[in-house]
Amino acid sequence: MITTHNVNYTYENTIEGAALTGVTTDIAEGQVVLLCGESGSGKTTYIKAINGLLSHYYEGNMGGEIMVSGKDISKVHLYELARDVGSVFQNPKSQFYTLMTDTEIVFGCENMGFKHDDILKRFDKVVKAFKIEDLLGKNLYNLSGGEKQKVACASVGALMPKVFVLDEPSSNLDIKSIHELRDIIEIWKKNGKTILIAEHRLNWLKDVADRVICFEDGKIKFDTTAKEFFDYPVEKMHEFGLRAPEKFEPKYSRVQDDAESISISKMKLTKNKETILDVDNLEIPKGSVVAIVGNCGAGKSTFARCLCGLEKKAEGTVKVSGRKITPKERIKKSYMVMQDVNHQLFTSSVEEEVMLGVTDLSEEEKEQKLSKILEEMDISKYKEAHPMSLSGGQKQRVAIAGALACNKDVIFYDEPTSGLDYRHMKEVSESIKKLNDMGKTQFIITHDPELVQECCNYFIYMVDGKIELSGSWNKENIRFVQSFFKLD
Amino acid sequence: MDTILRNTKASSRQLYLDPRTKILLCITVSTVMLAMDNTGIFVYIIPVMTIVPLIFLAIIKSPMTAVYYGILYLVAFFVPKMIVAYLPQAVNLLFTGVLATMTRLIPGMSMFYFLIATTSVSEFIAAMERMHIPKVMTVPVSVMFRFFPTIVEEYHGITDAMRLRNVGSFRNPVDMLEYRLVPLMISLTAIGNDLSISALTRGLDAPNKRSNMCAIGFNVQDYIAIAVSVVILILAALSMAFGI
Repeated sequence: MITTHNVNYTYENTIEGAALTGVTTDIAEGQVVLLCGESGSGKTTYIKAINGLLSHYYEGNMGGEIMVSGKDISKVHLYELARDVGSVFQNPKSQFYTLMTDTEIVFGCENMGFKHDDILKRFDKVVKAFKIEDLLGKNLYNLSGGEKQKVACASVGALMPKVFVLDEPSSNLDIKSIHELRDIIEIWKKNGKTILIAEHRLNWLKDVADRVICFEDGKIKFDTTAKEFFDYPVEKMHEFGLRAPEKFEPKYSRVQDDAESISISKMKLTKNKETILDVDNLEIPKGSVVAIVGNCGAGKSTFARCLCGLEKKAEGTVKVSGRKITPKERIKKSYMVMQDVNHQLFTSSVEEEVMLGVTDLSEEEKEQKLSKILEEMDISKYKEAHPMSLSGGQKQRVAIAGALACNKDVIFYDEPTSGLDYRHMKEVSESIKKLNDMGKTQFIITHDPELVQECCNYFIYMVDGKIELSGSWNKENIRFVQSFFKLD
Repeated sequence: MDTILRNTKASSRQLYLDPRTKILLCITVSTVMLAMDNTGIFVYIIPVMTIVPLIFLAIIKSPMTAVYYGILYLVAFFVPKMIVAYLPQAVNLLFTGVLATMTRLIPGMSMFYFLIATTSVSEFIAAMERMHIPKVMTVPVSVMFRFFPTIVEEYHGITDAMRLRNVGSFRNPVDMLEYRLVPLMISLTAIGNDLSISALTRGLDAPNKRSNMCAIGFNVQDYIAIAVSVVILILAALSMAFGI
């Protein structure tokens, strides 16, 4: 179904080398292939080669031959390929074109100029197969990431291509949505479709994938059956830079004995007459690294926003060792590393960015503080670089450095490791631990069991805006979190 | 299956009007408000045109927008008259004059809001295709429809980030603008790029005739609205040519 022969590719204006070198593959019809490897290893580029984006959208140097269902990719137009290859991308929020679920599902079919009745038939079929009747008639902006991703799948599914390529489709999804996404892939598999999935999270594909191709530096490192691959020991997986959560065993359980406590009582937020957050009473030891877990829509972000003082309409009190802290004080003392870190980098150099808003120091003191923080966050050599020219992880560290410069005590993270490979996840967890050594209290909203296991020593589990369970790592809690992440 | 795709007529969400009618209404209101003097028959037409957006906003059950519109209009209408006598000439020219001009702009802007709020991207594309407007024109404009809510969403994210960093107070308006616009432009560019990739892989640039699942088409209410608009536009043209 898909054959690539000696494919080479180099992006235009890149400082790195070739993104793909000598990639030769032969993928049979009906195979489900998992493409893995570290960030920048070439798996996403390979996906873009198959769906024609490399030849027709990006600028760069292409060599070799790619054939998909008998068509030479470089010779057909993108719109002709749309009937043969369906693509689902990483970011749910930037892949819908119309604003409504119904019209979005038929968008591709309309472009193809299919007949009215035919489109309705396809629409009915795909809606029924994916069980998304309840999403019909809704505005796409009001859907969760998982729901958007399902609509995106339905939209390419309605075109009924023979090949599906998915580029890190689970990056922004919670555990529940990932399993629903797997159901969709299973439906496609049953219908004999050929499916390529580039992913960092591997576990959810254990029972669906037939074959695994691992990339490294633009080359194929190994190509094996899924059965063999999923039997590799964890150490070997980590060596390849792959994620391999197996059991949930917290490794970071440092507990401060005499820690002061942060106590939250009667925190409540109502929006459009609906209570979206209702936290009656919660005590957290100051200086902990708290994992906030729960499914999408459980109120995790809302809780974080209320706690750091961003939600103006939130009720409730927050006390630190008995002293009441007003929302205004909280916003001064807390910082949030957002999921889209681009939102919070404002200036034209790392140096300026970090010291932004620091005014109460002399020039000399500023200089000292800056170099100390840059050293700690391991970004000294990018001092004069433009923040936007850095990689995702470096940007994140610049944002954290800014928080340190402003003497923030509490730091929130909104899914800091979504879409990161093992090595980058480790880097994030190292910097979190470093901040913990400085005595900062940290809250991490995450769907990533490996991150929780690496660096959290406390957790909160949320359902429907309420806190169901919280505490440090005792046996029961470990077992609970393990089953929540479906790792048992 | 129950879906809007099976509708054959414009629904309540579209205000039972065809997008083309709404565009014509937009043009009519703006032309009259911006180009016409308050003389002759337009003494009567101009007040009517100011009321039209209010009626539409009320019908689409957006009372808050209607109230904003009302207040803004009344302020722009009365405040200059009340204060103009007490202020120096220069201030009147710059400030009061601009405020007075607002009375001419607000109705057109409200009609545009109404057009955006009640027309979906698909309907807009459908309407443009019926008028045989080429794809190179419709695609950018349809992306604009899609982008308004995205801009709002991204803007909120950036506002939060600025509050957390305590930057961008009104004391340094230039800095504030920079801190707001730089991240906004960067995220919008990235989203725009992703968006075009996703649309292109679903065949947006296919040269064939696009089929359309949207219920658009003219009904009685459209004909009435069009007739009224055309009459007003003809009157405007005559008035400009001969000064009735």
